[in-house]
Amino acid sequence: MKVIARSILDNIFTALTWAVVFIIVILLLLILGPILSRGTNAVVFRDTIEFRKMQMSLFNRGTEAKLTAEISEIAPVRQKAYDAIDKFKSGIDTESLTEQVRKIYRDCGQELSYKELTPQQYTEIRSSLKEIRDRLQTAFASTDKAKIAECIGFVMGYADDERFKGTSAGDFFRIAGDFQKSAEKIDLAKHRQYIAAADEMEDLLTLLLGPPPGKSLPATAMNQFGATRWDLAEKLMDNLLWKEQWVPQQEGKFLVKIRTERAKEFAGTEIEPLFDYIKNNLEKMLKPKWQFYWQYFIDDSTPGHYFGGVGPEILGTLLLTLLSMLFVIPFGIVSAAYLAECASDNLVIKIIRMCINSLAGVPSIIFGLFGLAFFVLFLLPAFGFVSKPCILTASLTLSILTLPVMIRASEEAIKAVPFTYKEASLALGASKFKTFMSVTLPAAMPGILTGIILSLSRVAGETAPILFTGAVALGPLPSSIFHTTRTLSYGSYDMAVGDRLAAMVPHNQYGMVATLVLLVLCLNTSAIILRSRLFKKLHGH
Amino acid sequence: MPTADFKHQPLVLNYRQGLGNFLSLHIGRTILFLITCISVLSVLLIFFFIVRESLPFLQKFRLTEFLTNTGWYPQAEKPQFGALALIVGSFYVTITALLFSVPTGLLAAVFLSDIVSFKVQTIVKPVIELLAAIPSVAYGFFAVMVLAPWMQRKLGFTTGVNALNASFVLAVMALPTIVSVAQDSISAVGRELREASYGLGATRMETIFKVVIPAAHSGIIAAIILGMMRAVGETMVVWMASGNATRIPHPWWDLSGSIRTMTATIAGDMGETAKGCDHYRALFAIGLLLLVMTLCLNVLSEYFLAGAVKKTGTSK
Repeated sequence: MKVIARSILDNIFTALTWAVVFIIVILLLLILGPILSRGTNAVVFRDTIEFRKMQMSLFNRGTEAKLTAEISEIAPVRQKAYDAIDKFKSGIDTESLTEQVRKIYRDCGQELSYKELTPQQYTEIRSSLKEIRDRLQTAFASTDKAKIAECIGFVMGYADDERFKGTSAGDFFRIAGDFQKSAEKIDLAKHRQYIAAADEMEDLLTLLLGPPPGKSLPATAMNQFGATRWDLAEKLMDNLLWKEQWVPQQEGKFLVKIRTERAKEFAGTEIEPLFDYIKNNLEKMLKPKWQFYWQYFIDDSTPGHYFGGVGPEILGTLLLTLLSMLFVIPFGIVSAAYLAECASDNLVIKIIRMCINSLAGVPSIIFGLFGLAFFVLFLLPAFGFVSKPCILTASLTLSILTLPVMIRASEEAIKAVPFTYKEASLALGASKFKTFMSVTLPAAMPGILTGIILSLSRVAGETAPILFTGAVALGPLPSSIFHTTRTLSYGSYDMAVGDRLAAMVPHNQYGMVATLVLLVLCLNTSAIILRSRLFKKLHGH
Repeated sequence: MPTADFKHQPLVLNYRQGLGNFLSLHIGRTILFLITCISVLSVLLIFFFIVRESLPFLQKFRLTEFLTNTGWYPQAEKPQFGALALIVGSFYVTITALLFSVPTGLLAAVFLSDIVSFKVQTIVKPVIELLAAIPSVAYGFFAVMVLAPWMQRKLGFTTGVNALNASFVLAVMALPTIVSVAQDSISAVGRELREASYGLGATRMETIFKVVIPAAHSGIIAAIILGMMRAVGETMVVWMASGNATRIPHPWWDLSGSIRTMTATIAGDMGETAKGCDHYRALFAIGLLLLVMTLCLNVLSEYFLAGAVKKTGTSK
């Protein structure tokens, strides 16, 4: 019995370890999955015509003739929506109607003065016009349907009057007719709400389709275009169809989100069918197309991180990593060679090894502080440069951070070279130096290369050390190593937390961090492959 | 048969050649030694400059107040520089992270060394290495953009950026370190110990818990200390995911509240301070504290690792 219990316990334990490893693998997938899949969305996605317009005007890409043809194709479909809103607004915006009526009255008065009329006729017509104007204004100000009908009926009585022929008075009757029609359909008490809702809808439509034709373009590039991506367009479309409100459910409780159909706000008006029209014709208005936007990796972004890609960030990361490798590789390999080949196991070497281990354990933010205090505030002024963070200081800081990684990897690689290789070379009469250069080093090269790749990926991913020593979130391309630069790592941080504009473009947020993760993962995978090959070669399997 | 021609090269070197060889060997060695000393120099320079920048602060304000006061109001009219809440915050997330990652990491290490074949090992090890390779800012991004909204939605927390979020992500980050160091020390335990245990009729679980882990305990402690160093020194994740509210959690098990750590304070505040003011120097003082702590932990881990080598070395 006890034996069975023990063996069951043993099996449970084995299953537990399997489960734990399984969970770790799942965790890796859970972390990488969203980042990579949503990041891909920045490069491969369904674009809209607004995207092609943006590419044309900001990056000068695409064929102008084709774009113009597409724009003229969609223009009538969009125009219908704009017209409907305009008409609705003109029917209910009583303030502007009153304004219009007053203007017509003034115009008519002037026109009358050019006509050949007797003073008596003039006064008569003038007083009728005044009457019409006043009645219309009363109608506009009123919310009582019966009163409006009476006023409009009175005005319409003049419609066929011969005396008004050839003047602008015709406009009176057109406005009166339109107003009567819309007044019959809507609840006039709510006309202010209607106007506000219509304005809101117009704004949403501008977000979706871009500024309507005929209006002047806004100054910032992000407002010049509508939804550049189909997923964004669908989201905005959802905003257009549904109104979200946070309503207090009970006293002292959390607010609750309530979605109401926007069409209901316009129930009974001519805008109500517009929602269905936009919903059904959205594809015709935006012309979505699958797009492989590989230029994402070379494009500058504008404004902020709103449009465009991560070109400057990739360039900055490459600059930083390569420059720091320039310092690390020679010093790292030489140190490793000394530790592996020449050093005996005495106290000095023990201290050196302890320092290398300590250096590896120093938190990255301390490297940032050190870089600021030593390179930026001490070394740059000492050599007569301006004391400000720049690419040089950032890469020097990173190179100190990655020195232990490089030394350890190279030392292991050099030590892994079988002693028989060296003995053969020494027996042939080669000196120690010659043996190291022409036998040990070439044999250890793949291992050293692995170390270099691992240091590269470490440098590319570090953020804390460059916070104060040369990284910026936004800025021009660096023209020398004495300028600050944008990097993928700092950019990822800034887009997730710092940049409020970036929250509106989640694909770009994920695109930035996915680029960084992909870069690091590619470097690491190649290091892993290289190492397994080396292992096979040295062990002869 | 051609024979080697030694006539033009005398086998005995003359005086000048001997001296030349001697000098080049020793000069070369000295140069190599000096280059190797760059690492030592770096450590010393780091220490010197961090101390130099923080010393005026430590002279002006009392060290005991710095370590025991909980108020961190550097921008106030009468500034307070009490780092206790930050120190507590750092250890709070670190220890919570270790609660997650130590059991998981040890089980994974046992799995790799004792349970599966070499073939499965070669598949699982790269996965854990990839976990170590992901940049910390990507972990932070995940914490803010994916984990935080999920926590807010599903667990009903008032804020998604809190101590639990930061601890969880830190645990994932510390995992690879713990697994690889612990696995090395568990694998290094001699075969004969295991065989003796099996021979006495112990099951695998009993062998691991009663023989292997006690034998490898110094390596495992070193693994935990190294994992702790990784978690204490981590900046980006805690800065992004912990909520950055300077407070000591109350009640102490309340993981859903925001918290602020030493590293996050340095990273967050340094951009807003003028060089040379008290606030700037206070941040360097926090850095010094952090540096001293990690160096102590490092020495401790070296001590345990050396113990592990000694023990397993004799059994081989």
